[in-house]
Amino acid sequence: MAKRASFYIGIIVLLCVCLFPFFIMLMTAFKGSEEAISRNPTFFPKDWTVQHFLDIFDPTIFPYLHYLQNSFIVSVTASVISVGIAIFGAYALSRLNFRGRLTINASFYTVYMFSGILLVVPLFKVISGLGLYDTKTSLIIVMIVQTLPTAILMLNSYFETIPKDLEEAAKIDGLNRVKVIFYIIIPLSFTGIVSVFVYCFMVAWNDFLFASIFFSGSENFTLPVGLYALFSNPDYVWGRMMAASIITALPVVIMYAISENLIKGNVTDGGVKG
Amino acid sequence: MFKVKRETSDGKLALILLLPSSLLILLLIGYPMLSNFYISFFEQPINPEFPAEFIGLENYIETLTNIEFYKSLGITLLYTLLVVVGSTALGLYVAIMFNRPFRFRKIARSLIILSYVTPSISLIFVWKYMFNSGYGIINYIGRDMLHIFDRAPLWFDNPTSAFILVVLFAIWRYFPYAFIAFLAILQTISPTLYEAAEMDGANVWQKFKTVTLPAIMPVMLTVITLRTIWMFYMFEDVYLLTNKVNVLGVYLYETAFAFNDLGKASAISVLLFLIISTLIIAIRKKVNLNASS
Repeated sequence: MAKRASFYIGIIVLLCVCLFPFFIMLMTAFKGSEEAISRNPTFFPKDWTVQHFLDIFDPTIFPYLHYLQNSFIVSVTASVISVGIAIFGAYALSRLNFRGRLTINASFYTVYMFSGILLVVPLFKVISGLGLYDTKTSLIIVMIVQTLPTAILMLNSYFETIPKDLEEAAKIDGLNRVKVIFYIIIPLSFTGIVSVFVYCFMVAWNDFLFASIFFSGSENFTLPVGLYALFSNPDYVWGRMMAASIITALPVVIMYAISENLIKGNVTDGGVKG
Repeated sequence: MFKVKRETSDGKLALILLLPSSLLILLLIGYPMLSNFYISFFEQPINPEFPAEFIGLENYIETLTNIEFYKSLGITLLYTLLVVVGSTALGLYVAIMFNRPFRFRKIARSLIILSYVTPSISLIFVWKYMFNSGYGIINYIGRDMLHIFDRAPLWFDNPTSAFILVVLFAIWRYFPYAFIAFLAILQTISPTLYEAAEMDGANVWQKFKTVTLPAIMPVMLTVITLRTIWMFYMFEDVYLLTNKVNVLGVYLYETAFAFNDLGKASAISVLLFLIISTLIIAIRKKVNLNASS
């Protein structure tokens, strides 16, 4: 009994430590501006206010909605294209016999391990050389490539779980390879595809590195660069930053929760990066 | 005869299906990797209109004779080591805790993963707020509630405390990755193995050593390898949290985009690439050694 109680206490302590920053984020978002910078910090707001949430959605105060929209455009476009391309690539790698299959697989795995910061200089040159500097397209293209190797590896491992007999049966019924992809593989690995989409979306949604070097004006800013720029401004308000942080986190957390419930797998399926 | 024909038709289809991904990866990863190497021999202005000047090995010589580079390398190695050890150990410990059924286990598991799935930018602001030297809650708890220190350290302005902060942040943020990986593998270990060990009179540590550890070893090596690589070129978390911790990722970024020295930044990334490759090969060797012994 005592052992059981100490186990539960352990779990509760662990959760408190893990969730403490989230608790502070949430509470500060509901505190008045004065209270947020009091020398004697409070755990719960004395006067609850939703003003910060109203402020961030007010374009005259804060271009938050604009950044949110940019983030959605970049993340959705990049993820849809990346998943679309990856489905065909992964199918070829998991089902077709051809020379160089292992080499290509190994090269995707290598690329998956080396990326990001190692390539900022040449990618910056490629993007400005193509005349795409300070356009959303630049970030979309780079996010597609950043997520593609992982998406292919993840989908590859999902496709491996689909019985080959099913495909053979479909072929006997007269479906060709391409139709097999659309009628058999995609529907059967739907949950896998969703989780790969969520992964791609998260990578693009979270990117600060490339957004910070590709965009010069705030017109194209996505949430990470936009919020960081606002934070560097001395006029920022903590409650507003916390409200913005919560709303920024919400789409990925919700998507993640949905994909978690949809699939019995987890983030390490196929080795998600991060 | 039939088999040969089939393979060639597979080959053609494979080529078509793989073409878009291969082209994109060659164009935006393969080519940049090579051009990185090329750029590293040039004095490269940030404005593409200005011509680059070939300077041979000068970028490498400048980097390798600069004390800042070695400082940065040392900080990065220490950061990587502490975060990998911390997040792996904590992840394993929590996974072992969770490897027994209890009420609300599923919800608790989802809550623990929260720090891992939340965007860095959201977490950075709240950490900056919590560790603020004037009104931060951490200083309040440490000073007024627990009396651990009289005067709070200037967390973000002092290199040592800033370093502690980025390490803590990374362990807190990335241990769920190890936790999930370990939990998945722990749940595949048959309880009869533990029962058998118990019959032989094994204590908790002996059970861990003879049953748990061998079973989780492959996952542990993967977690350590990948986490080492990812921490080694960490940029965002550190850069956004403080400007006092110059890990190699930040050093490279600032050389390129604060000092506008693209050639030198390329040289640094080539060096980084070589170090990471060596690291991976070394880890892989170790993996093989362990497997054969």
